[in-house]
Amino acid sequence: MTDILRTNDLSKRFRKTVVLNHLNMIVPEHSIYGLVGPNGAGKTTTIKILMNALRPTEGTTEIFGHDSRRLSPQDFMQIGYVSENQQMPEWMTVEYFMNYLKPFYPNWDVARAEELLRLFELPRDRKIRDLSRGMRMKAALASSLAYRPPLIVLDEPFTGLDPLVRDELIEGVLECADRATILISSHDLSEIESFASHIGYLDRGRLQFSEEMSSLTDRFREIEVTLTNPLPSAQSLPPAWLSTEQSETVLRFVDSHFQQERTMAEVYRLFGTVHQISVHPMPLRAIFIALAKARRKAA
Amino acid sequence: MRQALHIFKKDVRHFRFEIAIAISVVVAFTIIEMRHALSVADPVTIRTGASTLVLFLLPLVWWTLIARVVHDEALAGNRQFWITRPYSWRSLLGAKVLFIFAFINLPMLVADMVILRAYGFSLGAELPGLLWSQVLLTIVYLLPIIALAAVTTGFVQLSFAILMPFVIVLIFAMFQPGVVLLRPVFFLGRFAGGIPVGYEWVKSYFAFIVITACASVILFWQYSRRGTTVARCLAAAGGILVVLGFTLISWNAAFKIQNWLSKEQVDLSSARVAPDSINEGLSRFFRQGEDSVGAEIPLQIMGLPPNMRVRVEKLSVDFQSPDGSVWKTDGYSLRNVGDADQRLIVRTGLSGGSYKKVKDGSLEVRGSLYLTLFGHRQTTGVPFGDRPVVVPRIGVCSARESVYRRGYFLICSSAFRSPAAVVTYHFIPSPADTAGQDWSSVQRQMNSYSPFPADLGLSPVSQDFKLSSNRVPADHGLVERMEPVAHIRLDFDITNLRPGNAYIPPPTNSH
Repeated sequence: MTDILRTNDLSKRFRKTVVLNHLNMIVPEHSIYGLVGPNGAGKTTTIKILMNALRPTEGTTEIFGHDSRRLSPQDFMQIGYVSENQQMPEWMTVEYFMNYLKPFYPNWDVARAEELLRLFELPRDRKIRDLSRGMRMKAALASSLAYRPPLIVLDEPFTGLDPLVRDELIEGVLECADRATILISSHDLSEIESFASHIGYLDRGRLQFSEEMSSLTDRFREIEVTLTNPLPSAQSLPPAWLSTEQSETVLRFVDSHFQQERTMAEVYRLFGTVHQISVHPMPLRAIFIALAKARRKAA
Repeated sequence: MRQALHIFKKDVRHFRFEIAIAISVVVAFTIIEMRHALSVADPVTIRTGASTLVLFLLPLVWWTLIARVVHDEALAGNRQFWITRPYSWRSLLGAKVLFIFAFINLPMLVADMVILRAYGFSLGAELPGLLWSQVLLTIVYLLPIIALAAVTTGFVQLSFAILMPFVIVLIFAMFQPGVVLLRPVFFLGRFAGGIPVGYEWVKSYFAFIVITACASVILFWQYSRRGTTVARCLAAAGGILVVLGFTLISWNAAFKIQNWLSKEQVDLSSARVAPDSINEGLSRFFRQGEDSVGAEIPLQIMGLPPNMRVRVEKLSVDFQSPDGSVWKTDGYSLRNVGDADQRLIVRTGLSGGSYKKVKDGSLEVRGSLYLTLFGHRQTTGVPFGDRPVVVPRIGVCSARESVYRRGYFLICSSAFRSPAAVVTYHFIPSPADTAGQDWSSVQRQMNSYSPFPADLGLSPVSQDFKLSSNRVPADHGLVERMEPVAHIRLDFDITNLRPGNAYIPPPTNSH
C-alpha cells in the first residue's frame, strides 16, 4: 500500500491557540480512514490544511505525494471533497450546479451523475439555497462522486443528518470504496465504525493512535474477573488495563493490549486462582470512552 | 481560456440583473451627455440634477458589480466550494477581468465614442484620449475596488474597507486642509472639481502608479496563492504610500519633473526678474489685521523671448534683515499692472513683530518666481452658425447668437481634458459696425500641464465658453491658443528695501 495522504510534523496555531501539535498521520491507498476525535480536536483543521484551504504554521502535508500547498487543478480533479460547513453556490439549481462543474473534470461520468441524482432523489430544478441540510450534503456528495475521484475527503459529512439520509450518503460513498481512498472525519464513532478500515484518534491536536480497525478492535477487550478471594486494596494493576472497577470479589477492566494467552497469564499471576473470567469484544464507542477516561485520569 | 469563458458565462447568468442595471446607467449617462451636446444653444445651463445623479450612480453600480462578481468566487476565507475544485487561477482571474471589461470598460468606451460623435469630434483623432481615459478609469475607479474585493469575504467587509480610507483621509484632511488627496478619493471626477491643476498631476500619477502596482501584486498574490493576510498588509501599505506621496512629493519636485518633460528649447539666457523701475513708487508696507504687515513689491519680468505670454505658478520670498534674521513666506497674491503679465505686484506679508525689527533698517528680499511660458500662438476663425469648427489641440468650437438674442457666445468643447493652454476668445464685429471693436477675453482657468491625452473624469467632454452681452452685431468668432513651451524658475534679489520709508499708516478716524 502506498500513502495517499500524509502529514509530517504538522502544527497549526490560531494566534496563541495550538490546534494541531506535530501531527503525523498517514492514510494508506484504498483505505477508508476514519479520523475521529471530540469537537475541537483539530480534525477539520487537518483536512483544510490537506486541501490547501488553510496554511500550516509548521510542517507539511502531502496528497498523492505532492505538497498540499502546491496542489494543482489536475490534483483537484482526483479529489472529491465534501464538508459540512462548505459554502455552496446558493443561487444555482442542482442541475445547473452539476452541469457547471462538468467541464472542470475530464473524467466526469454523465451516467454516474444521473445515477447519483436518482439515488439521492435530488430535485434538479431546485436552487441549492432552498435545499434542506441533508439535500445540500447529497448535492455536494453527488457533485464530488460524479467524476469517480480516487480520493474522497469527507469532513463531518453526517453532522445533523437524520439516520435515513446518513445511510443514503454512506451507501453512495461505499459504492466508490473499492476504487477510492476515503478519508472521513467524525466526532460520532458509531457513524463510521461500520465501514472504516482504518481509524485515527485525534485529541487536542495530537494523534493518539492510528491503526487498522481490525487490529484496534482485536486489542481491546472488556474483561470481568470474578475472584475467589477479596482483592487486596493496594494491588497494583498493569498500565494497559483501563477503566478498572472493582467490588469485593469482582474486577472489571478494559485491556488495551489484549492477547488471550498473555492476558490470562497476567490475571493468574496477579490473583492466583479465579472463579471466572469473561471476555467481551468492545464496540468502537466503548473503546474511545475508555481511552478518554484513561487520558482524563492521567491528566 | 475555455475554463475562463465557462466561468464568465456563469457570472453573466448569475449577475444578469446587475449587468442590466449597470448598462442602463451608462445608457442614461450617454443620453444625458448627448442631449447636452445637442443643446448648446444656451451653454449657461451646463449641468442638470439628473446628470450629476448619473455621475454619482456610475461608480456605485460599477463597484457593486465588481464586488458581486469577485465575491462569487471569494478569495479570502476557507469555506468556499470552489477552492477544492480544479479551478486554474489564471482562468478565474481572466474570467473576472473579462467580465469587468465587457460590462464596465466596453460600455463606457462605446458611450464615450457616441458622446464624442454627438459633439462633432473625430474618433480617429481622439483615439489616444479614448484609450487613456479607459486606462485612468480602470486605475482609479476599478482596480482599487477589485483589489479590495479580492482581500475581503463579502460586501460588509468590502464596504468597511472602502470607508476606512475615507475616514482616515477626512481625519488627515482636518490637519492638512490643503492636501489634494481628497480629490482622487472623492471620485476624482470633473463633476467633483477634482482635476489636478498645474503640476498637481505629478502627485496624481504617483498615486496611479502606486495603485496599479499594489493592486496588480495583490491580485496576482490572491489569485495564485490566496495569501489574504499578506495581501491585506499590501493594500494597507499601498494606501499609506498614496497618502505619503501626496504629502511628501513637494511642489518643487513636481516642478522639476514638469521642467524635465518640457522638450522645447527656449533661450532664457537674458530672462530675469527685477524691481519694476517704472512702478517703483508702488512699493509699500501697510498694516493688515492686528499683528500683520502687508508688503507690496512691484516686479518686472524681463528678457523673455518675444511673443510669449507668462503665467506665475508660484512665488517664494525670504525677507532678510541686516542682523541675518530670515522670514520665509510662500503666501502671495499677484496684481498685474499692465503690459500683459510681465509686470506684476507681489503682495505678501510679515508678522507685526518681524516688521518692528526691520522697519528702521534695510531689508533684503530674495525670492523665486516659478513661471510657465506660453507661445506658438494659433488662431482659428469660428463662423457663426450651427456647424462646429475643429480647432487644433483644443477640440471643436462653435459661435452662436444667444437664443434670447441677448448677445453672442463662443463655446469650445475639449475631449477628455481641458487644453493645457491659454485660450483667448475674440468676437470680431461686422465690418459695417463703425465702432469696429474687438471684444476679447482670456481664459483664466487653471489647467493641468499633464502630458497625457486624458484627465480623470467620467464625462468625456469638458467645455469652456465666453458669453458676450454686447449688442453690436458680431461677424464671427476667433479662438486663439497659446501652448506652454517652458516651465522656468527665475530668482531675484532686491536689496536695500526700506520698509519705514514705504510704510503707509492706517487711516485715522475723523469725527
